[in-house]
Amino acid sequence: MTLKKFITKELLIELLISMCIVLFVYAATSKLLDFENFKVQIGQSPVLSSFTDWLVWIVPISELLVAILLLIPSYRFIGLLSFYSIMVMFTTYIIIILNFSDFIPCSCGGVLEKLGWTEHILFNSAFIILAIICVLYSKNQEPLNSSVL
Amino acid sequence: MKAAVFFKLSILGVLSIAFVVVLFFLSEHEIHRNNTFIRRYPHHPITKKYNLSINYNSYYIAGFENDHLYLGNTTAPLHLLEVNLKTKDTQHIKIKLDQLDLPFRAVSIKLAPPYFFVMDGTVPCIFRGTMESWKANLWMKDTAYFSSAIPIDSNAIFIRTTSTETMQTVLGMIEKKKRFALQLNPNLLERQIDGVFCVDGTLLVSEDKSQLGYLYFYRNQYLIMNSSLELRTKEETIDTVRIAQIKLSEVNDQGEVKMKAPPLLINKAATLYKDLVLINSPRLGKNDKANMLDQASIIDVYNWKKHTYEFSFYLYNIGRNKAREFNVFDNYFVALIENELSVYQLEPTRFK
Repeated sequence: MTLKKFITKELLIELLISMCIVLFVYAATSKLLDFENFKVQIGQSPVLSSFTDWLVWIVPISELLVAILLLIPSYRFIGLLSFYSIMVMFTTYIIIILNFSDFIPCSCGGVLEKLGWTEHILFNSAFIILAIICVLYSKNQEPLNSSVL
Repeated sequence: MKAAVFFKLSILGVLSIAFVVVLFFLSEHEIHRNNTFIRRYPHHPITKKYNLSINYNSYYIAGFENDHLYLGNTTAPLHLLEVNLKTKDTQHIKIKLDQLDLPFRAVSIKLAPPYFFVMDGTVPCIFRGTMESWKANLWMKDTAYFSSAIPIDSNAIFIRTTSTETMQTVLGMIEKKKRFALQLNPNLLERQIDGVFCVDGTLLVSEDKSQLGYLYFYRNQYLIMNSSLELRTKEETIDTVRIAQIKLSEVNDQGEVKMKAPPLLINKAATLYKDLVLINSPRLGKNDKANMLDQASIIDVYNWKKHTYEFSFYLYNIGRNKAREFNVFDNYFVALIENELSVYQLEPTRFK
């Protein structure tokens, strides 16, 4: 009984983490595949326009890096923390755009383009919560917790 | 244990939020105050109302009063086209001058309601009349030659001319008090190369005639003056070319100097509207789409009082033709494109 319960929980975490990986790999590739367009969009973003030159590289590369970290079991915890903090940054970015910027630019690429800005916040919050759950229940939490953090 | 992880997560969260917020403020500051040619295009600052065919491509904007736009015509110098921007009704106006035996070469008509002025700086002469009768009498003759002129009230004309002392281009004012007086302000235009080509540009006057301006063609600068021609501010655009990029020939036998190579045009045209300056730049910014210049003219909006760059928008071509002139009156943005007049409505929240 306990074993069975343990396995399902494990599996669930695995599943959640895979979702995170898929999200970031998808996000990064869709940016890189349509790089010119992505550059224009970042350039038009009220929050980021001045930093376009380096952000267009940093954003997709760090997304891929985080995905890789999540794939390697011993780096998974760090990966989760990075995932969490990127999602928080992204959500902050959306909130700033919606409330404090001069104007609201066109939204992001891929399937996510279909989301409105508020849906986007909900979507992001769901992933932040998901990341928090994974951090709390991740198997690697303890060893890394004591050594790294 | 869990509490400790939560604590770490919240610290991480706060740091992430702070990072983006700092990025935002830095970016805003860079864009509005310290811009190095990064444009920003908000959605629909102007909305197209209609295109009106006016049959000739030789019209220029002479002035505006109460929803009526007046167009002069370079090939029919004494003809005006009056367009009611609300109803699209047009009416032809024939101007009568009391003296026609002058060696006219470059006649231009400009309004300063209720007066209108017919000016030719090569004669030099200025006729003045009222918009009621459309008859003008010789008002000024031989006070000063000028290469460009805009009336700012019934008795004052803002001009650009060549100083007879220095042979440099200067801004000035022809004023009629008891007699005609020419007042030049040689300190406004700053010489970079020869003081003629390098300072070339265009005169600007706000609709209420309270602010004057000058836009340099070959460098990223414009000047704002008050109606007594005193400099209020010298502003830079988001372009990065500070020194005119022009090449001049040696003086030839006739004493002429010519451009040796096509100059690098930084600013093409502009207009003043409230505290804003709208500038048409033919140059691509850092993140601009390269093919846009084939489809539209780019208009950059600045606030000279706040010393900021505000935003940019596209003024679309009609077919392959770019706008050759544009202006803003009340809430209308008007542009002359080939044989047509394009009329747009301003989004009032953007043009405050």
